Amino acid sequence: MKRYDVIIVGGGHNGLACAAYLARAGRKVLVLERRERVGGAAMSEEVFPGFRFSVFSYVVSLLRPEIIRELELPRHGLHILPLESTLTPLQSGDYLAQWSDHDQNRSELARHSVRDAEAYDEFGLVLHRMARAIKPLLKIAPPDPASLDPRELWHLWRLGRYFRGLAEKDLHTLWKLLTMSAADYLDEWFEGEALKGTKSASGIIGTLLGPRSPGTAYVLLHHYMGELDGVFRAWGFAKGGNGSVSAAIAAAAQAHGADIRTQAPVSKILVSGNRASGTVLDDGEELRAPIVISGADPRRTFLGLVGEQHLPDDFVAAIRRYKFRGCSAKVNLALGELPRFTCRPEPGPHLRGAISISPNVEYLERAYDDAKYGEISRRPYMDIVIPSMLDPAMAPPGKHVMSIFVQYAPYHLNGGWTDARRDQLGDTVIDTLAEYAPNLKGAILHRQVVTPADIERVVGLSEGNIFQGELTLQQMFFLRPAPAWARYRTPIHGLYQCGSGTHPGGGVMGASGRNAAMAILGARA
Amino acid sequence: MTEVVVIGAGADGLVAAHLLARAGHRVTVVEESPSPARSSGWAPWQLARELQLGDLAPAWPDPWLRAPLASGGALELWRDMARSVESIRRLRPRDAERWPRFCERMATLRALIERLYLEPPPGLVDMRFALRVRRLGRTPMEALMRILPMPVAELLDDWFESDALKGALATFAVRDLHQGPRSAGTAFRLLHYHAGSPTGVFRAPTSNLAALLRARPGINLRAAKAARIGVRDGRVANVVLEGGEELLASLVVSEAPPRRTLTELIEPGWLDPDLARAVRHIRARGVAVDLALELERPPEWTTLTIAPSLDDVERAYDDVKYGRASARPWIDVVAHGKQAQAHVQYAPGGKADRALGAKLLGAHAPPGVIRTTVMEHPHWPEGQPHHAELALDQALWMRPLPELARYRTPIGGLWLCGPAMHPAIAGVCGYNCVREILRAQ
Repeated sequence: MKRYDVIIVGGGHNGLACAAYLARAGRKVLVLERRERVGGAAMSEEVFPGFRFSVFSYVVSLLRPEIIRELELPRHGLHILPLESTLTPLQSGDYLAQWSDHDQNRSELARHSVRDAEAYDEFGLVLHRMARAIKPLLKIAPPDPASLDPRELWHLWRLGRYFRGLAEKDLHTLWKLLTMSAADYLDEWFEGEALKGTKSASGIIGTLLGPRSPGTAYVLLHHYMGELDGVFRAWGFAKGGNGSVSAAIAAAAQAHGADIRTQAPVSKILVSGNRASGTVLDDGEELRAPIVISGADPRRTFLGLVGEQHLPDDFVAAIRRYKFRGCSAKVNLALGELPRFTCRPEPGPHLRGAISISPNVEYLERAYDDAKYGEISRRPYMDIVIPSMLDPAMAPPGKHVMSIFVQYAPYHLNGGWTDARRDQLGDTVIDTLAEYAPNLKGAILHRQVVTPADIERVVGLSEGNIFQGELTLQQMFFLRPAPAWARYRTPIHGLYQCGSGTHPGGGVMGASGRNAAMAILGARA
Repeated sequence: MTEVVVIGAGADGLVAAHLLARAGHRVTVVEESPSPARSSGWAPWQLARELQLGDLAPAWPDPWLRAPLASGGALELWRDMARSVESIRRLRPRDAERWPRFCERMATLRALIERLYLEPPPGLVDMRFALRVRRLGRTPMEALMRILPMPVAELLDDWFESDALKGALATFAVRDLHQGPRSAGTAFRLLHYHAGSPTGVFRAPTSNLAALLRARPGINLRAAKAARIGVRDGRVANVVLEGGEELLASLVVSEAPPRRTLTELIEPGWLDPDLARAVRHIRARGVAVDLALELERPPEWTTLTIAPSLDDVERAYDDVKYGRASARPWIDVVAHGKQAQAHVQYAPGGKADRALGAKLLGAHAPPGVIRTTVMEHPHWPEGQPHHAELALDQALWMRPLPELARYRTPIGGLWLCGPAMHPAIAGVCGYNCVREILRAQ
């Protein structure tokens, strides 16, 4: 039997990225994936005959450029098609469109507010500068601020020096973004309701918070990170769906010699004498390796696969406190014809971009209020893309697929999730969207509704949280997922984490997987 | 000797005036509105020592929190830990067991906050401050980093189960804040009000600080309103009162809100446009209405908090988000003999007429109310007593703006000492401000 240096539990994009980097460094790596295909929540599937969907995550916005470069993902089949616009239809029958073309965007903004058009460029510059300032932090393992270990102190000192090197004004802006609500921050810049609504929507994705909740301004910043590297825009779509991202990373890992086993569900991580020694599969098969890396979220990893009896009490308490509270759902539609939005009925370039149902901040805040008390938003926020407009192979000729990201659908729903409640969610989404595109109902051939409970069941993300744990200030950086254990290590020797539940977490970014690999290679070097 | 004019005779203005007078300056205080008899907030002993205020007396009602229960009886939290534990035990034995540990944890952090509050705010990347935080040790340090940005609802959910306990405690974390208990950063506010209070007490004390200082000689107190601060060559020259009288000054210390001081009292043009824009964006939304109640006879309680659960407080906040007064506000009443003061939250802009006041108090009016008066606070910007909402993005090095956080302004000789400044505790802002002035001289 082949001997492995490293076993990685879970073949999501982070697990695969981690595997690729370790294999590239000469380690013998085995990835164990529970499902019949890799990708975790970054996967594509032909849900209805002829119609392919990115069932869960659906855009590539944050995938780290260094990963694309270092793993040569384009050579392994990754092709990113840019999303060039965002259309926000309004209840009045008007719309706000944001275009990647600067002049086009400016004149559209000026149509709504000349002041906003003026402020927009400066706003973009400030956020770009901030994104550039924090970008280096995405690549590092967060130091432990309480440690006395000289190496940790060295890292802390370097981090302190880095921050001291930033302009004071930028530090203050960063602090504001970390502590303010998206709505308050945007109020300082803009007056247009549709613009503020659509911008603030990016602050609430994946987290059970509303645009008026402090801390949401920071997530706005994430949107400006992808754009930095010029090659592709913040929002892109992988040809063939998001499964292509995972497939490309998996191909890169395999090219470097990693083995990937699907339909190999891990039931237990073996621990003996506070040291990880391997894994046990559901069928009882034992696989041994001196290093085990979990791509599963912290709750599943520690309270499920490891077992709390092997862990210190403080740590178990911290993992129990770690918040998930998934609140995002997906509705995937197979369409016989394109939707005709009342505000722009003819097919056109606006359908090649994102469509955002976020007419104003209050709309989003009310959607949040419903979820805060355990209900599905009566009028939810939606982020819609029509992948078949960019990649016709996703649907049969003349037909289309539509991906609708929905918020809020709280995991902790009053009365719990049932088939009836899933249908209710689907109906709410369709009814709301049909107010803007009346032909929608007649165009639907099939519909798939994915609730947070479904995400948990199918993909294994606890409480269906798409980021493996909320991205709030008290769960970020050196506190993610638990204080003192943010450096991808765990209280168990030889056991590491590489999922989105570690810094920096969130989105199809791959940074957690890459950072974990770097931390392990550094530790072993 | 410098001619000093202090604008405002609240606790901060008076502290600043007397400290400057002791340093040998001739000080005139322009008292813009009559100051209340008791000021609220921590009065640190360092301040008392420096001003030789032997008879300074902070006071807390005891029990400091009394929350009536739907099932009859009341939850009572006392200065005496054992009595609090006894009262909580009747609700939830598990919460009673945890109360002392919770109080101890908060007290460790209180010590850090108190030191932080008695000096100008640290810089955002301040190595000395970082080292001080490290010296707390691992557990308190991690608790601090976790708690500061947390919603108070999460903090309380971590520790307790009883709705009555969590609801009543949460009111202290959102007092005068345009946020609800589920908003991030509100746990910090619980610590803020804990500063200067005994372990296990989360209500800020009231004290006779302002009254003592007002009665003390050594400064020239003028009942007048400032109309303009004259600036020459980028330095303050005088303060012009309403009516035209001119007070020469080479140092002006203003307790007025930054927006008023910098954009109304100063002639436009002296301030950099970027800073002027930032000053206009200081958030100061009032959210509460204070009602003075006259009672038939002294009630048998000294304090009364009506906030049955976290959800009730959160729902009260939901209303104000959309510009409405809460259908079911939370209420905190403190009684002194036959007089009582009710703090009712939320009402947009902190405004209410008599009808709304009565409606807000509604069924919760204590028995025997003869008269209800809505208290007016004309000098609070938008009805906000802190002059700048005390949220994390406007606290510490950000208070009220990073450019103004060290009490000085871009105008030579013009300083800010009001509640909009760090640490937003009456008297302490003035104390820190003067120490910065004297250091600069």
